[in-house]
Amino acid sequence: MATTDTLRRKVVFGETDLSDLDDVDLPAESMPLQMGPSHPAMHGTVRITLEVEGEKIKTSDIQIGYLHRCFEKEAEAATWTQIFPYTDRLNYVSPMLNNVGYAMAVEKLLDITGKIPERAQYIRVIVGEVSRITDHLTCIAASAMELGAFTVFFYLIKTREWLWELLEEVSGARLTHSYVRIGGVVADLPMGWSEKLLDVLGKVRTALSDADQMLTRNKIFRDRMDGVGVISKSDAAGWGLTGPVARSTGLAYDVRKDHPYLVYDRFDFDVPVGSTGDNFDRYACRLEEIYQSMRILEQALSGIPQGRIIIDDPRLALPAKRETYNTIEAMIAHFKLIMDGLHVPAGEVYSFTEGGNGELGFYLVSRGEGRPWKCRVRPPCFANLAVLTKVLPGLFIADVVPTFGMINMIGGECDR
Amino acid sequence: MAAETSPPVETVTVRIDGHEHKFPKGTNLLEACQSVGAKIPFFCYHPGLSSPAVCRQCLVEIKGSPKPVPSCYTSVADKMEVSTSSPKVLDVRRQMLEFTLLNHPIDCPICDKAGECSLQRHYFDWDGMLARNEGSKVRKGKVIDIGKNIVLDQERCILCTRCIRVCDEVAKAPELTMAYRGSHEILTTAPGQRLDNPYSLNTVDVCPVGALTSKDFRFSRRVWELQATPSVCPGCATGCNVEVHASRGKIQRLVPRPNPDVNKHWMCDEGRFEYKRVHTDRVLLASVGGKRATFDAAIAEAARLLSEDLSRARDKVGVVFSFQGTNEDNHALLRLAVEGLKIERIYAGGRPAGWSDTILVSADKNPNTTGVRRMLPAGLRSIKDLTADIAKGVLSTILVLGNERVTLAPGTATAVVALATNKGSLVDLASVVLPVAAWAESDGTFTNKDDRVQRIRAAVPKAGESLAAWQALSQLGAKLGVPLAYASPGEVFADASQRHAFMKGVAWEPPVPPVLLRFGESRG
Repeated sequence: MATTDTLRRKVVFGETDLSDLDDVDLPAESMPLQMGPSHPAMHGTVRITLEVEGEKIKTSDIQIGYLHRCFEKEAEAATWTQIFPYTDRLNYVSPMLNNVGYAMAVEKLLDITGKIPERAQYIRVIVGEVSRITDHLTCIAASAMELGAFTVFFYLIKTREWLWELLEEVSGARLTHSYVRIGGVVADLPMGWSEKLLDVLGKVRTALSDADQMLTRNKIFRDRMDGVGVISKSDAAGWGLTGPVARSTGLAYDVRKDHPYLVYDRFDFDVPVGSTGDNFDRYACRLEEIYQSMRILEQALSGIPQGRIIIDDPRLALPAKRETYNTIEAMIAHFKLIMDGLHVPAGEVYSFTEGGNGELGFYLVSRGEGRPWKCRVRPPCFANLAVLTKVLPGLFIADVVPTFGMINMIGGECDR
Repeated sequence: MAAETSPPVETVTVRIDGHEHKFPKGTNLLEACQSVGAKIPFFCYHPGLSSPAVCRQCLVEIKGSPKPVPSCYTSVADKMEVSTSSPKVLDVRRQMLEFTLLNHPIDCPICDKAGECSLQRHYFDWDGMLARNEGSKVRKGKVIDIGKNIVLDQERCILCTRCIRVCDEVAKAPELTMAYRGSHEILTTAPGQRLDNPYSLNTVDVCPVGALTSKDFRFSRRVWELQATPSVCPGCATGCNVEVHASRGKIQRLVPRPNPDVNKHWMCDEGRFEYKRVHTDRVLLASVGGKRATFDAAIAEAARLLSEDLSRARDKVGVVFSFQGTNEDNHALLRLAVEGLKIERIYAGGRPAGWSDTILVSADKNPNTTGVRRMLPAGLRSIKDLTADIAKGVLSTILVLGNERVTLAPGTATAVVALATNKGSLVDLASVVLPVAAWAESDGTFTNKDDRVQRIRAAVPKAGESLAAWQALSQLGAKLGVPLAYASPGEVFADASQRHAFMKGVAWEPPVPPVLLRFGESRG
């Protein structure tokens, strides 16, 4: 109590003479506080044990694992295709990006990366970028709400809902799409979908503009975010940070630009890079990334070719049902693909793509069977969250909320 | 190589896919390639049968030969250069598969063989083409009852003739034949014959597709749900090696396990049905005087009966060993009854003798007669002697291992302590019944008629409250002051093999986890 008083008197009232407190018995111990795992601001259940002195954090211990669902172990008991629903539930606010990342890893092991039909690659980029937009919208909306900006939350979540409606049209589910398959995607874009997407992108622009007006020059928002949770560029490199968190520090690394995959090298887009590495920079990077994703989407929608949406090999992709029900070859192919799983030659591979939070890597080991021997995920927010052990000490308790929010730790991805 | 009297084996050098290998002269080329990892698909070849080279699936290119050569029909020759994966060979494989699949019905969803079908496996591994023919398929007979145990589907048959060769060469009963020619060729029984030789179910094993299916196993389980455990058939003293296929704690079928010394690749039909008694009419609960009791109470009562009689008149107590029990169970009984309790009246029995032939079936329908006889002293008395002795009133109590058909004349007061697996006359007249594990629930060894000690493994959990017989006997021994401190079947085996000469030098071998047939290599 006395400590808080002292701070308030010094900071708020600018008093310099606090000699009247000399004989006051000040507490000398710091207080342990638990934030989470069941906490409105601890997204995806994580627990941060804090040791505080007054409001200031002395030490913090970030304890993850509350959402560990043994993805890697389950993957060992499933065929290669059965793992797609599991990948949906990794970064569950941008599931298409997980689907795509995993499919590309298996395709790399199968050495068919160059044989994926062009239309399928465009579709993967399109749905991936839509997922990226939903990821960033969720992050900004939730963080803003935790700082008190409820209106922003509703605007952006409504926008997210329109995007999810589109993804539901394409895949059948708002969130758990399982849309991508090894060799392509499972179904083509419905008729009129491109027009609907362009329409929604217009609405996204409106919503972003509203959010921007409500937040970017908002004194309360700026005071809470500016200079808070600063990560240096060297720390970003040293701790293995990627994604908007790393780019906000000035580390210009984006897998889509540095190691282009699918058809990203055909599109004209920029990668926003910050300078201070504070919460505001992270917010600004994400906001700008949404605009850039929309640029990619517009280019992709106009340039998407006609053609197959999945590779033409019955040993990798299910044959058309008309064939399956009427020819023995397709029936056998269908049967073996489902029961045994497609045969991936023995070997190991690390494949990485730009997920919503950064470099999403899949390390696969195959023994030549229809299911993986090992399927490891490199979750980008694992490293991103780890840096908080350095960043949090010295912050106020109230600063934990926007800092943690802007790291965008998704429990499903971090804990798997 | 031990025998120095035979001449050294001549080896030839063969070049397979660019790598040189040495093989003994006369090795089959297909086997040679498989052994070095150059996989070749085949349908009609079988290591236990003659090789007719009808399916043409195993064609390989040999340098100097104008046409591709069936590797199952060729022996290795010196300086042979074989190519098993050149583009031409792969193309030939695809073509042969295309022909085979041309008239094959689209039965996978209803075919038993799905999951262990050679056609599915080879198509998926070697062929990636979808169908090119638009026309309809040739129709043939679908569900034809050709014998006691087998159903034939002529459309699925790929005309490999393996079944015909099994009947001709293994069962020596030429009951099957091909009829007609070309795309109308069908498998059928020879005029006036049915497929009911005692080895008919081997045709189901060798059939690469689902043309021949077992009436017993049809539609009972999908094969990828099965877990395979190696064991030995308890049907007769031959001791054919089998694989027990079980799912959800119940055995679904038995298939032979190859053993060149005992049963090659085959087993008889009667042996295949030996799994039924593991799940039928089992004694599940212990009982005293016909009324349900806990296992401990039954043990206590058995101990009481035995110790009373032993103290009163030891020579009126008898012990019955079982030719159906494992070496370990019988050994535990030996340690307890003969050595510990000094019981002098020793009997042994099993199932009555039956028919036999020169192929696999022994007349002795018990798996462990040899083992029991070797363990026990000479002068072993039979069940007939037992019945006579009971009728004479010579015995007051008997401790019985197994399900012997013991008859008690009315009025004779003989108490029976039975360690039984199945219900029957013994269980009905027993004073104390202790349920024990059946053959497929036990880990132990059987000794076949040629003194071969073979390991059996538990494939399904023990039924009801049964324990392994040696476990029940250990508990009984503890109550009777004969401590048999066996904690695991391996310990019983170790004790037994140390004591009995015929078991020396036999390895217990570590536990084998059951192989789930799904995700394993497709069989067939």
